[in-house]
Amino acid sequence: MKVPGVIYANEKLLYEIISDNATEQVANVACLPGIAKHSLAMPDIHWGYGFPIGGVAATDPDQGGVISPGGVGYDINCGVRLMRSDLLLEDLRPKLETLVNSLFNNIPSGVGSSGDIIAGVKDEEEIFIEGARWAVKKGYGSKEDLEFTENNGSIEGADPSKVSKRAYERGSDQSGTLGSGNHFLEIQVIDEIYDEKKAGAFGLFKGQITMMIHSGSRGLGYQICDDYVKGMFGCLSKYKISVPDMQLTCAPVNSPEGRSYLGAMKCAANYAWTNRQCLMYLARDVFEKAFNKSWSSLGLRLVYDVAHNIAKMERHNIDGKEKILCVHRKGATRAFPPGHPDLPDEYKDAGQPVIIPGDMGTFSYVLAGASGSMEETFGSACHGAGRRLSRSGAIKACHGRQIDKELFNKSGIIVRAKTRGTLAEEAPEAYKDVSEVVDVVHGAGLSVKVCRMRPLGVIKG
Amino acid sequence: MKPFEIIEHTADIGIRARGVTLMELFENSARGMFSLITKEAVKPQPEIRKEIHIDKSSDKFEEILVAWLSELLYIFNKEKVFFNSFKISNLNNKGLKADVSGFNAGPRQESLRKEIKAVTFHNLRIEEAVDGFSCVIIFDV
Repeated sequence: MKVPGVIYANEKLLYEIISDNATEQVANVACLPGIAKHSLAMPDIHWGYGFPIGGVAATDPDQGGVISPGGVGYDINCGVRLMRSDLLLEDLRPKLETLVNSLFNNIPSGVGSSGDIIAGVKDEEEIFIEGARWAVKKGYGSKEDLEFTENNGSIEGADPSKVSKRAYERGSDQSGTLGSGNHFLEIQVIDEIYDEKKAGAFGLFKGQITMMIHSGSRGLGYQICDDYVKGMFGCLSKYKISVPDMQLTCAPVNSPEGRSYLGAMKCAANYAWTNRQCLMYLARDVFEKAFNKSWSSLGLRLVYDVAHNIAKMERHNIDGKEKILCVHRKGATRAFPPGHPDLPDEYKDAGQPVIIPGDMGTFSYVLAGASGSMEETFGSACHGAGRRLSRSGAIKACHGRQIDKELFNKSGIIVRAKTRGTLAEEAPEAYKDVSEVVDVVHGAGLSVKVCRMRPLGVIKG
Repeated sequence: MKPFEIIEHTADIGIRARGVTLMELFENSARGMFSLITKEAVKPQPEIRKEIHIDKSSDKFEEILVAWLSELLYIFNKEKVFFNSFKISNLNNKGLKADVSGFNAGPRQESLRKEIKAVTFHNLRIEEAVDGFSCVIIFDV
């Protein structure tokens, strides 16, 4: 280990954390060349591959710092966006079932799903470079949506020439598709406000209907990560790098290989922002039809969109000196504090919205980035509840049960999923208690709790 | 000897594959991977046969194993061919040749239960014992 490992947790979460191999992975990441200060893990940490999920590591290019495709993961720019509305629970209740069914029928989801928003090769290249701007140009949203997306939905420096033919192919028909597994679209109601002022800044209030989308870069991102993990094996001997796990293969940020990966990764990041923008467009359309009103008159505005699997070149303070570091967030959310120059003007005083989805039976949260994140975690916080049970463990625990019926009978939550297997794998007990996770992040001063949302209707891929 | 079994992993999913020979280990790894995608018995449909060539020089058979599984996964994603028969005819440190066959899974999308994003290298090590070879492969799902 070149630096110490730091895990944010409380006593209860710590028992769960040490029960799998995640802590070993924190130690493995601490061995990466040029890693700055410490190898970090958020309280939703669990065993991943290479990096733990919930892992944050910053490397210093001036000190031989590396970039590791495994430190971003296969689903590049997997992330969440939250849309608010002017609707209240009583407005929605009579239409909830119709809305959920209509969302399920109109939003392509499931294994290898392809969508109606088909992009040709030329469009795909534009998506790689322009990101969500492409979607807005095509009429799938408004300019305002871009203001409230991390990096305005388009990260600079994307280089389509670094994307393989196979990756192009896999991205061609998947824009505007949700995917499968833990990806979802959820209609929620805000049931608790913790910070009125910040909630007000984000346009959020108690009793308000919100909608959350969780998706990523689909087959394109998987293929780019796959290509570069394999491609970087040669870099280990070329740059005399030794890693404890082959999945941590990497190259110096400033090497031709490191730069190529960054150029390709940014294409996938931009694709993912486009994808979530297109999904929001499809969802707005469903709301418009259900209420027979335009989305703008329903107040369906984007609160924010955050990436939680990404590597970013960011300015951070190391021992009193400002440095540009390569921050890997693998299952971790950027959490910039009030006053940060990268925030939209409307959120300058409140800080960046940090959107934390929980499991489909309990709660999700909005937090706001706080100064502790810049001091301790390279501007990062947690990304979700974090899994507690393995997928097969969850299926065993749910054997013979009908999770959708249970959720409806217990909490009135309407769930639609492509397969029963997905429902069991994603059952509430498969996840840690998200409230514990956000309390740790809040208590550590990385982010501040703003409000809590309760699920009403869930579409699972 | 079980050809493969599913193993626990918190976020993703893994298999432990075994084989008396390296070739059998590679074949059983592919069987294990496709067993994660669907459990259902394949309905009779016209059989699709393919020849797979993996051209990869490496002194690590793990790299060739991941290249082989990734190639099958790529064809599955692109052409929706669900493979259920694997015969490797040649395997060495320059790659492999195999004959594989399966069926079009396109019309049966609903029964596909798992999207495998990728085959990872996480802690991947082919181990040799007196009764043959084994390895644990973690898939990102």
